[in-house]
Amino acid sequence: MTTTVLPEAHSPHDAPNVAPPGARRPARVRRVPVSLALSVAVVVLVVAWALLPDVFAHQDPVTGVPAQKFLPPGAAHWFGTDHLGRDVYSRIVHGTASSVLSALVAVGIGVVVGGVLGLVAGFVGGWVDAVVGRTVDVLLAVPGFLLAVVVVSALGFQTINAAVATGVSAVAVFARVMRAEVLKVRRATFVEASTLAGGSSLHVLVRHVLPNAYRSVLALSVLQLGVSILVIAGLAFLGYGDPPPASDWGLLVASGKNYPLAPWLVLAPAAVIVVVVLSVNRVSRRLRQA
Amino acid sequence: MSGRHGVFVARRVGQAALVVLLTYVFTFLVISVLPGDPVTSMLRDPENGFSDQDVQQIVAYYHLDQPVLVQLATSLGRFLTGDLGVSLRTQVPVTQLLGDALPSTLELTATALGVALLLAVVVAYGTQFLPPRLGQGIVRAVPSAALSVPSFVIGIVLVRTFGFQLGWFSITDPDSLTATLVAGVALGIPVSAQIAEVLVANLDHERTQDYVTLARSRGLTSRELFRRHLLKPSALPVLTVVAIAVGELLGGSLITESVFGRQGVGTLVETSVTGQDLPVLQAVVVLAAIVFVVVNLAADLLYPLLDARLRPSARSAAPVTAPARTLSDAVAGAA
Repeated sequence: MTTTVLPEAHSPHDAPNVAPPGARRPARVRRVPVSLALSVAVVVLVVAWALLPDVFAHQDPVTGVPAQKFLPPGAAHWFGTDHLGRDVYSRIVHGTASSVLSALVAVGIGVVVGGVLGLVAGFVGGWVDAVVGRTVDVLLAVPGFLLAVVVVSALGFQTINAAVATGVSAVAVFARVMRAEVLKVRRATFVEASTLAGGSSLHVLVRHVLPNAYRSVLALSVLQLGVSILVIAGLAFLGYGDPPPASDWGLLVASGKNYPLAPWLVLAPAAVIVVVVLSVNRVSRRLRQA
Repeated sequence: MSGRHGVFVARRVGQAALVVLLTYVFTFLVISVLPGDPVTSMLRDPENGFSDQDVQQIVAYYHLDQPVLVQLATSLGRFLTGDLGVSLRTQVPVTQLLGDALPSTLELTATALGVALLLAVVVAYGTQFLPPRLGQGIVRAVPSAALSVPSFVIGIVLVRTFGFQLGWFSITDPDSLTATLVAGVALGIPVSAQIAEVLVANLDHERTQDYVTLARSRGLTSRELFRRHLLKPSALPVLTVVAIAVGELLGGSLITESVFGRQGVGTLVETSVTGQDLPVLQAVVVLAAIVFVVVNLAADLLYPLLDARLRPSARSAAPVTAPARTLSDAVAGAA
């Protein structure tokens, strides 16, 4: 968390349309920082792993070669092999889909449910706002991870349920931010003008509120993606995701924990989680600055 | 304290009580309305060895044969009298299970909070006063890097380093102070990163204020400046972050206790989840909510005492930029 102030709302009507868009910062050469470029590269690579695991890892993630168990990292096995002689790199790549895509599902639930709640609360106000407000208070009062554990235990131990549970625990934050954005935009002069000019509530919502809120919600979504990857890894670590031979990253760390003499079994998946979350957070910071 | 302050306190206490009650209802609904019927499927499972009579007793006790709303009313009524029900798995009252598990977890979370505050202040000091060439940039990157490491990884690395490789002390003996300290470090690092981020942002802001320039022109050294002028105003908003972090520590204790083999609330949750022991789960969630709500209430009520600008009598004075006072402000600001 940071105390970064949400970006100021501005409307397309406020922007001076005298100068062409590119001419607003004439003297500055746009330079992409190295860390940002690397982060974007990591995110692209991970998406590719998730969509096309067979292109990136040729070895079988489920059936191992018993003669090749506990091989340390080397040219043939980049991240070594596990207790059944399975290639750890291949297992990580094949576990990407459920580790990362389920985080996307979680964020999607948070954005849609939380966004709609916040939008309605801010737009309608009155008792609706009060009901949503108390619901959000409850969701905030229960520690996110504990809430996710309870929801996943009610739904059953599967990665998709872990994703839903993580999404539920993210609803409150999105509802809060969306509500704050709506209230901010509603007070703006151009919204007043639009209403006076005969714009319906729906028109105001679609043309003014959503376009202005989307940027902070987007930045929060990317930040929440990193958080969700960590929460889902934690749930998988405790065994609340798909059971083996699935290879969610958290589950890989949990099973590697039992073999202290083969440290790569923990360190490789752990390093992948750290690098991916770092990269996602870096991208999110850039989005908040913009 | 004026009457207005009394009204403020009463309103906040009322809100807090409402949130706890709603949390109880919410958890009850999550557990009983979601698809699947873990209670009866667990009770009917022959492996668990419940006789028909046991099952009937439990069904009658929780009114499981009646509509959900009746169950909720019964359960809520018992909760209001302090009765949290009986564990389905062990037939022990839930309050007793919680009482046994709490001390260890409180010890762990208190240690973690202490570690988190200490680390955050050290990092914040580094960001302000390390010469730019000597790694100030690196120190500034530490909090966001720490936030990207799953706490179970920190835990495993610590257990391996201290427990196995160095072999200095038994890492998994929950009674040993050092073991608690190391577990507290694992649990506290992510929280310390959050505190540090807020603290650093506030320090950066305070440093640009006129009174700092004045203090410097009076000849104060950086260290005196930090201790006497910067730390206090920057630390106030941290109170809100700390209050929120208490909830996170409780949630995080699930993983930390599992990694370090400690018996506490976290392990109680773990066994209740595998055993579908819903009354215990519900009790832990409500307990966590109570702790969270009480700590945040305390923080809210403490602000006027710590910060003269927020006292009711000072309301008429010129408006000042006050720190985020309530949970809502803090969360809205955090995003």
